[in-house]
Amino acid sequence: MPLGRRSAIGVTTLGLLVLAWFMATGANGLISPGRFPTPADTWTAGLQAMVRGYGDATLVVHVLQSLKLVALGFVVSVAVGVPLGLLMGTSATAEAVLNPVFMLLRPIPPLAWIPLAILWFGLGDTAKIMVIFFAAFVPSVINTQAGVRTIERPLIEAARMLGTPHGRFIREVVVPGAAPMIFTGLRLSLQASWTTLVAAELVGALAGLGHLLNLAQQDLYPGMILVGMICVAIFGALTTALLGLVERRTLTWVRIKGDTA
Amino acid sequence: MSSIRFDAVSKSFGAGQVKALDDVDLAIADKEFLAIVGPSGCGKTTCLRLAAGFEFPTSGRVLVGNAEVREPGPDRAVVFQQFALFPWKTVVENIELGLRNRNMPREERRIRVMEAVELIGLNGYEGAYPHQLSGGMQQRVAIARAYVLDPQVLLMDEPFGALDAQTRVVMQEELVRLARRNPRTVLFITHGVEEAVYLADRVAIMTRRPGRLKEIVDVKSIREAEGWERYSRIEDVMDLESFVHLRTHIWRSLREEKTGAAH
Repeated sequence: MPLGRRSAIGVTTLGLLVLAWFMATGANGLISPGRFPTPADTWTAGLQAMVRGYGDATLVVHVLQSLKLVALGFVVSVAVGVPLGLLMGTSATAEAVLNPVFMLLRPIPPLAWIPLAILWFGLGDTAKIMVIFFAAFVPSVINTQAGVRTIERPLIEAARMLGTPHGRFIREVVVPGAAPMIFTGLRLSLQASWTTLVAAELVGALAGLGHLLNLAQQDLYPGMILVGMICVAIFGALTTALLGLVERRTLTWVRIKGDTA
Repeated sequence: MSSIRFDAVSKSFGAGQVKALDDVDLAIADKEFLAIVGPSGCGKTTCLRLAAGFEFPTSGRVLVGNAEVREPGPDRAVVFQQFALFPWKTVVENIELGLRNRNMPREERRIRVMEAVELIGLNGYEGAYPHQLSGGMQQRVAIARAYVLDPQVLLMDEPFGALDAQTRVVMQEELVRLARRNPRTVLFITHGVEEAVYLADRVAIMTRRPGRLKEIVDVKSIREAEGWERYSRIEDVMDLESFVHLRTHIWRSLREEKTGAAH
């Protein structure tokens, strides 16, 4: 489907959704404004959060706080996860050593780390980054490792035959060979970063979108709840789109391969 | 001096259940072009992989230039059937990797790579990615990647098997031209009898699994006696009575193999 038509359909769908929202929460609507806010309520709440602030900070401050922690948590997770995945993918010994630890850690829901994180680091940023890390480094490791396994054996043999030293072999053969899967891992890591961050902020935070959501719930303020949710949706989508852009810029050769194959 | 020698080589896979090679003795002289033909699954590719150092014999020894093969290396360049080019590297980047690994200075490297690109006739495609090229062009890049190393030994595993008939003929003629200009010790694996007779100095015929050497046919003496070199086109050579005779001989030998194993 052409891109123009696709985005036209997308915009229409969103428009219809907003229309349905208007009608459902309107004067003779089906949903009472106490349960779900009207668009006008949400707009007012949004304006209030932006101009006067809500929960000791303006909306911009809450958004920036969450964005900062997602970015930090994501970067730490990826910086640990991808090299670990490369190591486990290329070395059978490393895999044998690390896999049992992994098997033990994986069933623990990331949110179960929150109590420990708060105990260690309090309500500040470090605790959130720790919780994000435990959620987000796993998909990076697993997908990177799987990506290394997808590299065709003749390519590895060709690199060895050409006398490629180990460091260059990792940089110029293993990483690009695993790159499409590494990016899949990064996308999942980013998703996990948002999910766990908001959850961690809900439980205990001094600022951030999760904190705003938590306060709005305590204040029985549906409009503000929706403002928080919409912000998470928008900035989650934006960061995902940004990652997609980086992927397309980095993996030019994959697009070429896809076009001609 | 870089001969290849298989000394009583046997190779089994998977805890000895599958015997791929059984007691193979074979010597390929320095700068000799030897082709191995045989039914599929006879272990001919295993021979090449042993010489390349991708696999190791279960018993016996494989020697290249009097040293036992212990690992793959650029002294034994391999041309793979499925080309094995790095899809994320351009034509030039693929060809020059082996030279970079040798720490050749940039300027010298550039000259060598450009010579290689010229040789395989891919001028104008230096910056192309493998998937933008046809199969024949990709295999030319793979051959250039091997040639640029100036290897003593060239190991080719059905290099033209994945090409269409016309491209294959062009590549075969090119390979003969290259081999005449710059002779190397070549181990060439193929199931094409005509290809083997056209290209090789000697043709080794292998039996069905477990692969043994059945017969080695000397092509070179006949080629020289009958003056095949006078013809540059493959179809003219293939028309010669001496060529037909050799081809038929090898065909029969292989056919005995195929029917012989059927009962």
